[in-house]
Amino acid sequence: MIKDDVSQILTVATYEVRKYLRSRRLLGMLILLGIIIALILGLPPALGAKYPSEPNSFVATFATFTGILVILGGVLFAADALVSEHEKRTGYFLFPNPVRREVLVLGKLVASLLTSAAVLTLYYLVATVAALAITGATTWEIGLSYAYALAYMCAVVGVAYLLSSLLKSTVAATVLTFGLFFLIFTILGALLFNAGKVDPWFIPSSASGIISDVLVRPTDGQGPFRQFVPDATTSLLVFAAYFLAGSFLAILLFRRRELSS
Amino acid sequence: MPPTTKNSVSNGFPVHLAALGKDYGHFPALKSLDLVVSPGISLGFLGPNGAGKSTTIKIMTNLIRPTRGQASLFGVDARREPTRALARVGAVIETPEFYGYLSPLETLAYAGRLRGMARTDIRARSEAVLKEVRMGDWADHRIQEFSKGMKQRLAIAQALLHEPDLLILDEPTSGLDPRGMAEIRDLIKSLKGKGRTIFMSSHLLGEVQEVCDEVALLNHGELLVKGSVRDLSRGSGAATFQATFLRPPSEEDLAALGSVQGVQRLKRAGDGSVDFQIMGGEEAQAEILAAMVRRGLRVTTYRPLGSPLEQLYLDRIQESDRI
Repeated sequence: MIKDDVSQILTVATYEVRKYLRSRRLLGMLILLGIIIALILGLPPALGAKYPSEPNSFVATFATFTGILVILGGVLFAADALVSEHEKRTGYFLFPNPVRREVLVLGKLVASLLTSAAVLTLYYLVATVAALAITGATTWEIGLSYAYALAYMCAVVGVAYLLSSLLKSTVAATVLTFGLFFLIFTILGALLFNAGKVDPWFIPSSASGIISDVLVRPTDGQGPFRQFVPDATTSLLVFAAYFLAGSFLAILLFRRRELSS
Repeated sequence: MPPTTKNSVSNGFPVHLAALGKDYGHFPALKSLDLVVSPGISLGFLGPNGAGKSTTIKIMTNLIRPTRGQASLFGVDARREPTRALARVGAVIETPEFYGYLSPLETLAYAGRLRGMARTDIRARSEAVLKEVRMGDWADHRIQEFSKGMKQRLAIAQALLHEPDLLILDEPTSGLDPRGMAEIRDLIKSLKGKGRTIFMSSHLLGEVQEVCDEVALLNHGELLVKGSVRDLSRGSGAATFQATFLRPPSEEDLAALGSVQGVQRLKRAGDGSVDFQIMGGEEAQAEILAAMVRRGLRVTTYRPLGSPLEQLYLDRIQESDRI
């Protein structure tokens, strides 16, 4: 009678994606995406400036905002995924079904990754088409930047799930996910590198620098704060570690967490 | 009751709780509960707030872990193998919240798919159960528009979707208006008639008396009594009866009635009525009525105040509280 775990994971994922579609979070994200794209494409001609002539330089402008989109994806499509079942009491409907908690986490995780990835894919698709239309060419580095963005997205989602399984309120999980990636990791990375003279290769925000760096070599060492960016292999390993550790701990914590309120 | 050794828990009783306990910090919400529910029985799980009813139900449905002991459903440990243990179970726990962005049909489809039901079965059963709980007209509306009572009906519908052998119902009529309560009671009685096992907690003693075959009374995390509703009602201690007379009885009449065997206490209740506290069950009740008639009193009504189950409940809870 009971379907296998994979089937249940897909079922959970399907309904989670439906949640994102109907709760207008995805719509909000797409509107934001539209605004960013409109600004990148509309401002240069409006200000009388020229677009970069090289496809990599052109897409690098888009890549500057990729980190923000990835973090917002984690906030909107992952941070409340687990905690809301407890806080909003929907767990009283979901948990007494014959489905393992780890299956629920994995199903939700699949939905979060797919939804965030869909947003990023659309963003890079527009960037690539625009690059082709304006510069007349595309490069494989654009594809690599997209792949790095997806890897960073996995790290953000993994940590968001860990926070979601740990905290008691959706607001706390959402704010902390945003604050951690947008502020804390960034500040920590800059301070370690500039003041502590430590290479912050292990901080995902620092590693996310490869998303832009693969397109345009950074001008190193200028300004009050320099940013350390590890090499691509290290960065990908850091992303993988955060994703795997975050997801694994989220499963463990969610399994142990009781619905007693 | 069967012994509660580890081996005996492997039997196939719909519900078998063996030395089940749950502590919250140093507070024992459930001490050591042994309880068996046989197939086809509907058991009313009674007790005041904080008695441990919800804790028990949450352990049975794998929402919380027991500190000690074991809860088995159809011989399967609900903690170690929750998916197998819950496969034949439908549950309504408190008033669950549903996903506001889904409709009742979509919600039932979600539950049905998680349970591995075929799409055609899900559709047919969804329509049937929504009709049963009188939610057919709301099948396609978003749940975010629903009242608490409507959500409670939907909760019952999802519990019935897969035609479970065991229904675990935590306050199933909570949030419903009197008509809704009566409808749900009738629904539960019809399920009982189909041979389903029902484990139902409720504060409403009349409801339990109407619906259940057996009751288990819990207080301070301990089982005080378990038995059939009929036996416990008969075997209860004092019952209060009220007699109303065409003309108020004299003091002499009251003194004479007070000396009848079984009368513990009597007092005037106004409007020519007298309340009798009676020990001795139906025999004593009948003897007092006969004594009234012998004294030439014109009795217009003679009725129990509160149900025998209510009396039993209050007696046992008070006794337990004193200890």
